[in-house]
Amino acid sequence: MHEMGLMEDALELVAEDAEKHAFQSVDKISLIVGDLSNVLPDALRFAFDAFRESGQIPILSQQASLEIIPEKGLAKCAVCGITYEPNAFIATCPECGMPFGVLLAGETFKIESYEGS
Amino acid sequence: MKITLEKNVMENNDRAAAFNRQLFNKTKTLVINIMSSPGAGKTTILERTVAELSKDYHIGVIEGDIATERDADRIRKKGVEAVQIATEGECHLDPRMVAKVLPELDLDAIDILFIENVGNLVCPSEFDLGQNHRVVVLSTPEGNDKIPKYPLMFHVTELALINKVDLLPHVSFDLDKAREDLRAIQPNSRLMPISAKSGEGFETWIDWIRANLEACQKH
Ligand SMILES: Nc1nc2c(ncn2[C@@H]2O[C@H](COP(=O)(O)OP(=O)(O)OP(=O)(O)O)[C@@H](O)[C@H]2O)c(=O)[nH]1
Ligand SMILES: [Mg+2]
Ligand SMILES: [Zn+2]
Repeated sequence: MHEMGLMEDALELVAEDAEKHAFQSVDKISLIVGDLSNVLPDALRFAFDAFRESGQIPILSQQASLEIIPEKGLAKCAVCGITYEPNAFIATCPECGMPFGVLLAGETFKIESYEGS
Repeated sequence: MKITLEKNVMENNDRAAAFNRQLFNKTKTLVINIMSSPGAGKTTILERTVAELSKDYHIGVIEGDIATERDADRIRKKGVEAVQIATEGECHLDPRMVAKVLPELDLDAIDILFIENVGNLVCPSEFDLGQNHRVVVLSTPEGNDKIPKYPLMFHVTELALINKVDLLPHVSFDLDKAREDLRAIQPNSRLMPISAKSGEGFETWIDWIRANLEACQKH
């Protein structure tokens, strides 16, 4: 369980940027979370609620909401070149059976946007 | 108003890891991050390793645990300087925790710095500490299935120490199967059977460290 620390990082990055825009409050945060990022959406929501309620990030309003945009995993086989949806972090190619898939998507964990005023 | 940020959340960690890496490069310190589940034998391996290497080199150890100074004390008994990080609940070390204790170590003098991560096969694999090499320890009583079950750990490491091979007659652990599973997850990783109790395989492990130290101090 390291979602607490990651959520704190995300909120600090948002707060830093929101201050540059001279915002008084942040009301919504949208995160992109890849299937293979090893970050659990439920744990993120739990962490978000905890930070909002604690008031530790003053700019985060008491009504703030969290949107989680999932990103599907995608890999390309380095041997035969087909693309496939890996069912684990590294998966063997369904065509040629080689374990040399290069991940194209699914590892993302980033802040897409936020809303505030 | 909506602001599009497109910012990686790991950015803070990546920045701190890059800072550590630069510092280690400058001081020509070889840094090895050792990870495993609780009790696989990280500290026991380090006790034997530092006893061997401290004859020739200046060694430092950072011990990461959720609580207590116990592991650092075990290393200090071998006459090697050790710093304990108590993470107070966090399940892994992150590069900022490491950066914070670096001033306590004489990096200019230290040739090899070992970092023992918090016992956990999942979270430590996601945090780059700025090390040169990542090593995972898997002990034979844990069973073969840990390799496919925790693929990220075996994917990001370049060496898998299979510890407690002295117990092979008593536990069901198949070294060939482990080699095969490891190859599927990380074809570039190497498997090395050792026993921190009997010392079996330690020559190969110590040679691996010496070769990497040479490469690290060359440039
Ligand atoms: N039989 C046998 N026992 C070992 C070996 N290596 C370690 N042990 C034992 O395994 C137990 C755990 O060893 P530690 O070195 O404390 O393990 P660790 O990985 O540092 O544990 P944490 O720091 O709690 O994650 C101890 O009782 C050791 O004596 C080995 O090669 N063979
Ligand atoms: Mg230990
Ligand atoms: Zn293929």
